[in-house]
Amino acid sequence: MPTISINCQDFEQLLGKARAASTPITAADIEGWLPLVKGELKDQDLELGELRIELQDGNRPDLWSCEGMARQVRIKLQGKPSSYPFFKSRHRPKRRLHVAPGLEEVRPYVAACAAIGYRVTEVGLAQLIQTQEKLGELFGRKRHTISIGVYQLPQIVFPVTYALVKPDEARFTPLGFEEKLSLGEILAVHPKGIEYGPIIAGHERVPLLRDGEGQVLSLPPIINSREIGEVKVGDQELFVEVTGTDLLMVILTLNILAANLADRGATIEAVEVVYPYKTRLGKTVRTPFDFGQARVIPIKTIESALGQRLGSEEVCRALSAYGYEARSAGNKVSVKPPPYRNDQMHAVDVVEDVAISRGYGAFTPLMPSQFTVGSLSRVEQVSDRVRDLMVGVGFQEIISNILSSRQELCDRMRLTGTAWEQLLEVDNVMSQSFACLRQWITPSLLRVESASTRAFYPHRLFEVGEVAVLDPTDDQGSRTVLTLGALVTHANANFSEIHSCLDLLLYYLGYPYTLEPIHHPSFLGGRAGQIISQSKAVGLIGELHPEVLEQWQVGMPGVVFELSVDALAEGT
Amino acid sequence: MAATPSLLDSLHPLETKVLTALHEAPSSASLREELIAKASGLDPSQLSMAVEWLLAKSLIKVESEKVIPIVTLTQTGEQYFEKYAPVERILSAVQDPGQTGKRLTIQEIQSREGLEPSEVSSAIGCLKKEGAIRIVQGGYIESTGNPSGTAESLRTLLQQLRGTTRELHLFPESLRRVIEQYAVKRGNTREPFRISDRIEREFSLTSEGQEAAHAIAQQGIGEEVSQLTPDLLKDGAWRAKRFRKYTISLRPPRIAGGRRHPYREFLDLVKAKLVSMGFREMRGSLIETEFWNMDALYMPQFHPAREIHDVYFVKEPTHAERIAEPFFSQVAAVHRDGWETRSTGWGYDFDEHRARRLVLRSQGTALSARTLAAGATVPGKYFAIARCFRYDRVDATHATDFFQVEGIVLGPEINFRTLLGLLDLFAREMAHAGESRFLPAYFPFTEPSVELHVRHPRLGWMELGGAGLLRPEVTLPLGVNVPVIAWGLGLDRMAMVALGIHDIRELFSTDLEMIRTTRAHF
Repeated sequence: MPTISINCQDFEQLLGKARAASTPITAADIEGWLPLVKGELKDQDLELGELRIELQDGNRPDLWSCEGMARQVRIKLQGKPSSYPFFKSRHRPKRRLHVAPGLEEVRPYVAACAAIGYRVTEVGLAQLIQTQEKLGELFGRKRHTISIGVYQLPQIVFPVTYALVKPDEARFTPLGFEEKLSLGEILAVHPKGIEYGPIIAGHERVPLLRDGEGQVLSLPPIINSREIGEVKVGDQELFVEVTGTDLLMVILTLNILAANLADRGATIEAVEVVYPYKTRLGKTVRTPFDFGQARVIPIKTIESALGQRLGSEEVCRALSAYGYEARSAGNKVSVKPPPYRNDQMHAVDVVEDVAISRGYGAFTPLMPSQFTVGSLSRVEQVSDRVRDLMVGVGFQEIISNILSSRQELCDRMRLTGTAWEQLLEVDNVMSQSFACLRQWITPSLLRVESASTRAFYPHRLFEVGEVAVLDPTDDQGSRTVLTLGALVTHANANFSEIHSCLDLLLYYLGYPYTLEPIHHPSFLGGRAGQIISQSKAVGLIGELHPEVLEQWQVGMPGVVFELSVDALAEGT
Repeated sequence: MAATPSLLDSLHPLETKVLTALHEAPSSASLREELIAKASGLDPSQLSMAVEWLLAKSLIKVESEKVIPIVTLTQTGEQYFEKYAPVERILSAVQDPGQTGKRLTIQEIQSREGLEPSEVSSAIGCLKKEGAIRIVQGGYIESTGNPSGTAESLRTLLQQLRGTTRELHLFPESLRRVIEQYAVKRGNTREPFRISDRIEREFSLTSEGQEAAHAIAQQGIGEEVSQLTPDLLKDGAWRAKRFRKYTISLRPPRIAGGRRHPYREFLDLVKAKLVSMGFREMRGSLIETEFWNMDALYMPQFHPAREIHDVYFVKEPTHAERIAEPFFSQVAAVHRDGWETRSTGWGYDFDEHRARRLVLRSQGTALSARTLAAGATVPGKYFAIARCFRYDRVDATHATDFFQVEGIVLGPEINFRTLLGLLDLFAREMAHAGESRFLPAYFPFTEPSVELHVRHPRLGWMELGGAGLLRPEVTLPLGVNVPVIAWGLGLDRMAMVALGIHDIRELFSTDLEMIRTTRAHF
């Protein structure tokens, strides 16, 4: 999840009076608070007081800014939620935003507010841009579900309209350009148009935000107007909007931005959004909007999940100190999440917040005491015996990647165009070297052999590993088979030597077998066999074809056998 | 230096033979190599080895050193023997005009005989000087009928030197001149003879050598052996033998034994530990459906980690035929609206077709989900060391396929504190950590979630693993009604330190020499 930059001094200012100490805040102080926000310190520049912090929780976009992190810490230090009165105000907003019909098919939802009285500072602007970017990219899935615009409020004449227009119907100067372009040109030419254009492609008209005088604010989710949509240090009145495809995510995002700006001293003024179509919150939605619902949870649920008696008072204290509105109601607790969070799907989510608020160190570890019997699977037991025996016979064990290439698995083995060339392939190949799952072990051993011609001989290699075999009768179309492969190379390596190894192994395993001659392209004619047990083919043995050795640039004769360990596990 | 018993015992049989030959030499105190060879019965390579050893031990010394010129046939000489030398061929060509019916010019001889211009001109010059041929008008060459001394000498020498070497001074003066004329010189390598120098050394025993040889003579030769043989044992002949003492401080020759792979040895240790702690092993397929790999773990289908750049998809077949009920319907319902779990669910339109999409297993937790659905025992502990695949660019810290060590613990006593207790156990047993700490973490399928950090005796503070209590949205649709811990351990860093490597790719190295020589320090 996102890695963000924050500044120690900025963090200190955002904590305000909540922090009693008068000494300047240090990186170590912040690191000590990181468990509250599931943050991990990635990097720091002590001179500049800059920290880079990775925030793990994908469901907590409210934490992806200096304001959000500081807020969580401030609440902990204060022991109670921060207050955001604008969520509770019942006055009808003086500013309105009208949504035009047709947008329900393209990008249906919008939320907006004004932020007044906060003079934008350099560090505040950097945070605003970072928040906009992280929320749009990660929470908004590359602006698909949400995108954010921030503007200079004084230049906007209300009401603002959110409507669909044809790409050649409007022109404006986008950020980063000097001259006016049509919407179609922006989509075709502007870097952001090229990057995000596909989100609104496939429709005759595109969404456009304009003010009461027809001035373009932005082409969401692509780019703002340069005239209105470029916020600068020193601006004191901002207009913030969020558009997107999921109403609650759109409003949550605006709530987060509003809380962030409020934390910096802005007064938030709501905007009334008027839809021509129904939404789950009605046709008129006042934003920011606190849609959080109180949830009643039995204290016992929390206590048994945590394994600790806490009592309702302690639960309420912990939750209040993490930002919830929590009220004790007998043996239950009523909890309402703060308006900038919407990640409580289940009571367990609240349980974790109780634990985080108290600190994981506040819980004494308790060893699970119920008795269980440990064991290995049957196939692993057989595999261990096989490996032991192979080591005893003098073989060096190998571990290989299972992903390989068709060239290694088939071409170099002379299997291309034969019945043995069926492979399980990857659809989204990153590198041709890792494009298929191996269907047998021998190529893995030859890969080692090929890289080791300077290691002194004899070479006796084996690997017990998984291979994937296509099988149309299987529900998933393939089976994973644990397979033993063994390879011997030296100047006098011959069939009888590898046969002796196989024979000894299967003697000790008590696994009767016979060899049946087989014509297999990887092996010399008349020197290859199938290993048959209980009238089932369970493996292969043979002397490698000189052409195979040439393909792998191996300068010694080589003999191999392969055996299904799964079959051994069933048959012994 | 006295001929101590230890000196005698350390003598190689070849050395003993040479000392004896010098000792028994009838005439003088020194012998030429040739004679030593004859007396001792050693071949030249054995002799030169033994002589060098004895010189090094100061048991013999070089009495005199003579440089003797010797003559051998070159490859050209061998050819001349078979196909005759240019002088012989030209002489024969002009003596036998009947063959062609006409006289020959120099050019005609050259092309008929396939000779080099330089060979022809020097041969004709020589024959003309000896009066064996003459050049007449028109450039024709005729035989005078006189014999050529050079041609005859050459033939004699070619016959005498074939397959042997002779000292130059053994030839009469006339032949010596021919040899010198036709010997390989700088700038002219196509000649039949080579004159080279043979260094002939004469050796004699030093006083120590004499003592040693004397001692050997008294003990009797042939009694020392280096290898005890079945025959010596059979007839008891070993009793009359002395066994040569070895220089045992020398490094032995290398051998390659059978051996487990060092990384596998590490994983075997992990496996044994987990079994000893009461864990049962789980196994499964490399290929999984998105359902078991992700949906059953309550990862929403729009989760960023499910995108094409994080998971490998199977090309063919693309989808599994079916997914077992009732799990399929219940998991789908839990994603849509929480089903019967009292969760809100993710609230999106669950795509059942996508759930059947086949992928390469990206996390071992898929095995835990299957184990839960198959009816895990309660209480129960399970583990897997599962090969997993990630769509990552391969580098020193990222592998495209790798082992994940993870599992579950289920039972009525499971809660957040027993989760911490289990992690404490892992910290002690797996990392021998004296200290550990727990940090809040995020995994889509657990709540609460914990990261385990430990102070490793050698590595300092490190993240050892992640764990949590499985969400009810995971357990209930799979038919499990007790709390479940899901845990995973990141052991590759410990493995790399144990194996002394710095690049994760070397865990699966293809370098046999490296695999053979890597020692693991667990």
